[in-house]
Amino acid sequence: MRKIIVLSLIAVFLLPIAVTAAGSQEDKADVKTIAVVTPYMANATTAYVIEQFKADAEQKGWKVRVSDTAGDFGMVVSRIEDAVAQNVDAIVLGMGDPAQMTKGLITAREAGIPVFGLDAGLADGVVLNITSDNTDLGKQTAQLLVDAMGGKGEIVMYTHDPHPGVRARAVGAEEVFNSNPGIKIVNKFHIDVPGPVDNARKITEDIITADSSDKSLKGIWAGWDEPAYGATQALEAASRTDVKVVGIDGTDFAKAEIDKGGSFAGTIEQDFDQMAEKLADLIESYMAGEELTENWYQIPGKLYKK
Amino acid sequence: MTDSRIIESMKEKRNTGKFIRTWGTLMGFILLFVIFTIIRPDVFPSGRNIRNIIEQVATLAIVASGVTVVMVTGDFDLSVGAIASLVGIVCAMLMEAGINTPVSIFIALLLGTAAGFINGVLVAYGGLSAFVSTLATMTAFGGLSLLLSRGTTIFGLPENFRFLGQGSLGFIPFSVILMVIVLVVVYLMLEQTTYGRRLYAIGGNEEASFLSGINTKKVRLAAFCLSGFFAAVGGVVLTSRLYSAHPQAGSPFMLNAAAAVFLGMTAFRDGEANLWGTLLGVLIMGVMGNGLNILGINTYVQSILTGVIIIMAVLLSSLAKKKA
Repeated sequence: MRKIIVLSLIAVFLLPIAVTAAGSQEDKADVKTIAVVTPYMANATTAYVIEQFKADAEQKGWKVRVSDTAGDFGMVVSRIEDAVAQNVDAIVLGMGDPAQMTKGLITAREAGIPVFGLDAGLADGVVLNITSDNTDLGKQTAQLLVDAMGGKGEIVMYTHDPHPGVRARAVGAEEVFNSNPGIKIVNKFHIDVPGPVDNARKITEDIITADSSDKSLKGIWAGWDEPAYGATQALEAASRTDVKVVGIDGTDFAKAEIDKGGSFAGTIEQDFDQMAEKLADLIESYMAGEELTENWYQIPGKLYKK
Repeated sequence: MTDSRIIESMKEKRNTGKFIRTWGTLMGFILLFVIFTIIRPDVFPSGRNIRNIIEQVATLAIVASGVTVVMVTGDFDLSVGAIASLVGIVCAMLMEAGINTPVSIFIALLLGTAAGFINGVLVAYGGLSAFVSTLATMTAFGGLSLLLSRGTTIFGLPENFRFLGQGSLGFIPFSVILMVIVLVVVYLMLEQTTYGRRLYAIGGNEEASFLSGINTKKVRLAAFCLSGFFAAVGGVVLTSRLYSAHPQAGSPFMLNAAAAVFLGMTAFRDGEANLWGTLLGVLIMGVMGNGLNILGINTYVQSILTGVIIIMAVLLSSLAKKKA
């Protein structure tokens, strides 16, 4: 029985390797290879922007390898080191805070391999970062929520500070809430990843139960669409349509929910297509020896509401 | 002190130790409940909140019941979260492809059982450690979920699929009814059938069970199939509750189910995995999360407190054991 199991496993293991190896035979020696390393591939928007970048890069004739560490930041460093060992032409960080990847960034710099941030952040060793103006995304959605609430009421915020982009959004949103005297932030909750929809749903169920007598809660600001989606479901189940929710990212499921005209008041679309395309162009220029004048590129967002 | 008094006092200590060991965790749970009730008497003990708590823990209780079956034999299943995610993705994709809801659910449950079967074959027939093999399959199933879904959320599921995770019969949520059915079935199986007694026998001493004529390989294989099946049920209910499928939605089940079973091992039966203990573990975690959210406690602090509670329960249980 053991032999059968071992043989089956060898077959399962070798099949994809054989297929990949057969494919790589066709690669030309001068093809540029880009390694994309991300801890957040399970996040819908991360997956989308990386797929877009991959498509843009492949159009330029480059080969793209994507590694996901499923939320493990320690592993991101290892994946960067692996990419350095494979002598890739460039490394792209697909979101995540580069400040947590210092060891990998040093290894890449020592090997002369440039590292670019795709909606990540800047740190020593990162040539440039391209991102949405996250603070502005936070501000615009916060203002949308304030307007949807009629300018007054209590708010809770769903955040995820380990992600620098989400952290910047929360800072921007808080600025707007604090500048509106009718708005009071009563609590902030850290949302777990993975499992943000269910986590946000459970927290929302709990806080609306606690708020069931005074019904003073009027708004939920979420740092991205998934927790906003979970919150909307809990509000819908409890018939608390008086509470409005906003998210960020402009995902398809969020737009579908907003179109229904319930609690989900709006989201903001990041222009991931442009972000991915611009990064591919910048990498091309860099590799062609052009000097880049900036290290921080921002793409504006666009509100989506009913 | 006369000899008889010394014996009497030793007996008393042993009885106290046994009492704490058996009922200590339940008393801790009641204490937790009382504390939250005192702090927020208007909200925490309300019918609506109790319904909330039970509904929130229903999926975890279903998954943890399967993990209990495996842990009764002394094995471990780390892959339940990944199986739940994979099953959710496949079920959603089937419905998206136009296959009707009951058939999609049936195929998804079969898939979960098949995933459990793979674990069982690796452990029982391949001789691999349960920890290592389920760690490996967890990674593989996780990768498969991401590959199938391309890392994205699948939404727009059929309306009739909502019922499993969001519907209710009268005022009782359907997911809670499912949880009760699973608990009763698993309880009867563990406590009232030959198969259940064999599971406990293997957990007590696998070699002695084998020598007494039990086909230990088949029994362990079936335990993993059951764990996979219940993970699949949990995955389907979670997908319905969220009305969408996410490639890592089930991931929190892995640690939470293990924590619930370990907490449960400190209750009712001496250090053995047992279903009512698991249910108590699930409820402790549910009440903690709910109560701390209602009090508005910082979420980072919540994680610390949950860890402290688990350590306290295990520590108290081992102290009581020493006392006995």
